[in-house]
Amino acid sequence: MSAPLDGRTALVTGGSRGLGRAICQALSRDGARVAFNYSRSEQDACNTLEAIAAQGRRALAFRTSVVDKKAVQEMVLAIEREAGVIDILVNNAGFAQVVPLALMEEADWDCMLDTHVKGAFLVTQAVLRGMVRSGRGRILNISSLAGVKMMQAPVHYCTAKAALKGFTEGLAKEVGRYGITVNCLAPGILERGVGDHLPPSKREEYLRHCALRRTGTLAEVADVASFLVSDRNSYMNGATIVLDGAV
Amino acid sequence: MECTGCEGTRTRRDRPHTFFAHEKATCDKCGGELEARVVLRDNRVFHLKHCNDCGPSEALISENADDYVRAFLERGAPAGSGEHHFKQTTSTCPSCLALVEAQVVIRDNRVYFKKRCAQCGPSEALVSENAKYYVNAYAFARAGTEPLRFRSEVKHGCPTDCGTCNDHEQHTCLPIVEVTDFCNLECPICIVNNQYSNHMSTADFARIVDVLIESEGQCESIALSGGEPTSHPRIFELIGIASRPEIARTVVITNGLRLARDRAFAESIKRSGAYIALQLDGFTADTHEKIRGRDLCREKQAALQVLKELDIPTQLIFVATRGVNEHQIGQAVELFLSQEHILSLNFQPAAYTGFGGGRFQHDPMDRLTIPGVIQRVEEQTAGKLKVSDFFPLPCSHPQCVSLTYLLRLDDGSCLPFARFVDFKKYGTLLRSSATLPASAEIHEAMEDVIHDVFARQGEIERGPEILRALRRTLDVMFPRRPLSPKEAVRVGERQSKSIFLHHYMDRHDFDLERLRKCCHHYPQVDGRIMPACGFNMFHRGAAQGPNTKRPGWGKAPWPDRPAPSEAATLPNEERFSRDVLR
Repeated sequence: MSAPLDGRTALVTGGSRGLGRAICQALSRDGARVAFNYSRSEQDACNTLEAIAAQGRRALAFRTSVVDKKAVQEMVLAIEREAGVIDILVNNAGFAQVVPLALMEEADWDCMLDTHVKGAFLVTQAVLRGMVRSGRGRILNISSLAGVKMMQAPVHYCTAKAALKGFTEGLAKEVGRYGITVNCLAPGILERGVGDHLPPSKREEYLRHCALRRTGTLAEVADVASFLVSDRNSYMNGATIVLDGAV
Repeated sequence: MECTGCEGTRTRRDRPHTFFAHEKATCDKCGGELEARVVLRDNRVFHLKHCNDCGPSEALISENADDYVRAFLERGAPAGSGEHHFKQTTSTCPSCLALVEAQVVIRDNRVYFKKRCAQCGPSEALVSENAKYYVNAYAFARAGTEPLRFRSEVKHGCPTDCGTCNDHEQHTCLPIVEVTDFCNLECPICIVNNQYSNHMSTADFARIVDVLIESEGQCESIALSGGEPTSHPRIFELIGIASRPEIARTVVITNGLRLARDRAFAESIKRSGAYIALQLDGFTADTHEKIRGRDLCREKQAALQVLKELDIPTQLIFVATRGVNEHQIGQAVELFLSQEHILSLNFQPAAYTGFGGGRFQHDPMDRLTIPGVIQRVEEQTAGKLKVSDFFPLPCSHPQCVSLTYLLRLDDGSCLPFARFVDFKKYGTLLRSSATLPASAEIHEAMEDVIHDVFARQGEIERGPEILRALRRTLDVMFPRRPLSPKEAVRVGERQSKSIFLHHYMDRHDFDLERLRKCCHHYPQVDGRIMPACGFNMFHRGAAQGPNTKRPGWGKAPWPDRPAPSEAATLPNEERFSRDVLR
């Protein structure tokens, strides 16, 4: 039996660590040719490549900032040359920063919004061209529970993650006619995810409200992501899936 | 500068079909021969019949419309050398104007009507210089749009009941109102026998506009014609009457002589907001002399100059005539492309009908037709425009009109939409209009086109420039404020240009099938709205020419006296009698 993503080419932004790496591994395990970008740690990228190699597969890594339009376009062209038209895009690149509004610098705000939102826009625009041409595509935007539910989290982070929900819904309407689906995944706090840096009191509060009484794992979210970008998930479009153990 | 409502918003509830063609059939009740309408409905094919004795009926003739159309088009494919039969239709005897059966045959990649009149004998006429174009045009047939109200009843059949009756297959895209029978030229090719007797009163004109609005709801354009409409002493009052919210554009169709000599008049036209459709059939003395009766070079140049100086939105109308001005077609295209205020160019292959046209020297076997003019456009513009840039217009009968739209790029040059749009996919963009309106349907089609170009920009000639121009067009056409219906029609008119080719019919190439879907109509004072070629050939008294007998097919195409029940609906019986029966 063939793997669900056999023959597909996937690009995962921010794939060198954390949830990005887990998604790269899951997509690769499920048959996709995986490419990812990273902006900082060469070592982290190597670790992702090694993890995929351990599955007996090969991946492509690009040191590219998602907010550098020209570099993004060059990366997409290079992937298309190497692995064919990109069928799957996971807009995962992002970061967390715990800072109250009173102390937030304009640069903090810009960096947060740029990385999450402008980055998703630039990468999507570059990838979309091939998807429209081939008349198919799966786009998955990684948001957060903080973007869809009222939570005590940094406002620029909440804003950026909420923007990705809007981005998902607008884009789903716009490109659905080309056989491209766009969905959004909003995980709660994950082990070894960005929530790792939360103060213990916040983490405890989350667990108190979570029906499953535990945080999620990167693999659990990556498995759902792999399903969402597969052909088995053919009618879901414009949806935001919350993965939080029922908070 | 033409249509408004051909966006499929008012598909006929009583006849939700696409009218496709005419063909011979028999009445199911009496077995009598009749001509049936072939219509496509729910992907099946039906004959709609009207027997004068037994009334209307219909019959299913194919379970699969796609198969039927494919087989129909294959019938037009070349079958070896020599002549082969494509279809049949109803035409006219060129001598007595009787309706006669016409065999549509293809010979040497040309299309001819072969006819036989019981009284006058056989005749033959060229109807298309390119059989491939002619046959494939049928693939563009599209469902008509229903007017809000028809103006006459089905009694005797087409074209007797013109007015329009509820068997007509299209609403009014372009109403043309002849506001005067005075003229300052005696053009050898003119269809009208001007009597120099009547300027339409403002009351009559207002009534015509009311009737139009009642029938159509809104009109993209209304054209004032004649005679020469600028000779009407109250022309600006007429323009004022037409300048209603329901009518987006008022177009004055003129020979330009008054514009050329009377700057104050031209400035008043500018102030009135009217558009000008300038008759311009050539650039040399001999072409003007042959078509318009005298050298008009100086006047036409002056008219063009004042239109440019005052930036009056303009359409050029070029009557393309075999052996007269066909070599100046490219020059007209170049002029059109070079001037921003010239929004569209309308080539009309000469129709040899009416008072002058019927007597104009011509050979019915060697004349210009739509594909022939398109071919000359390509040849005479060094390929700047190509044959492949043009498509049949689906909302009229596809043999009547061909067109291309050109997108204005930011550097001022124009690129045909066909270079980057697949019109078979984005047929919404093919409209009987010189410009694209800011409608939801056009917005959606443009978004499709933008994505398409975006995805293929590496392969498409000037891809990034096209995207920039489309972005500009979207910004202009869909601003962040509500648009009135009038604004919506006009807002995009400087973003693109268009070339139309409209072949009006005459006694040689008349095709009843085409008339049935005509969308260029002459509204009359009596309330009727007459399809153009039917009016010119059968209902316009003067158009029959001084030596032409009344049609010999049994019925006068109009009642000599309106029946008492009808009289009440005629606002001015005396006017009707004088003007229509003159």
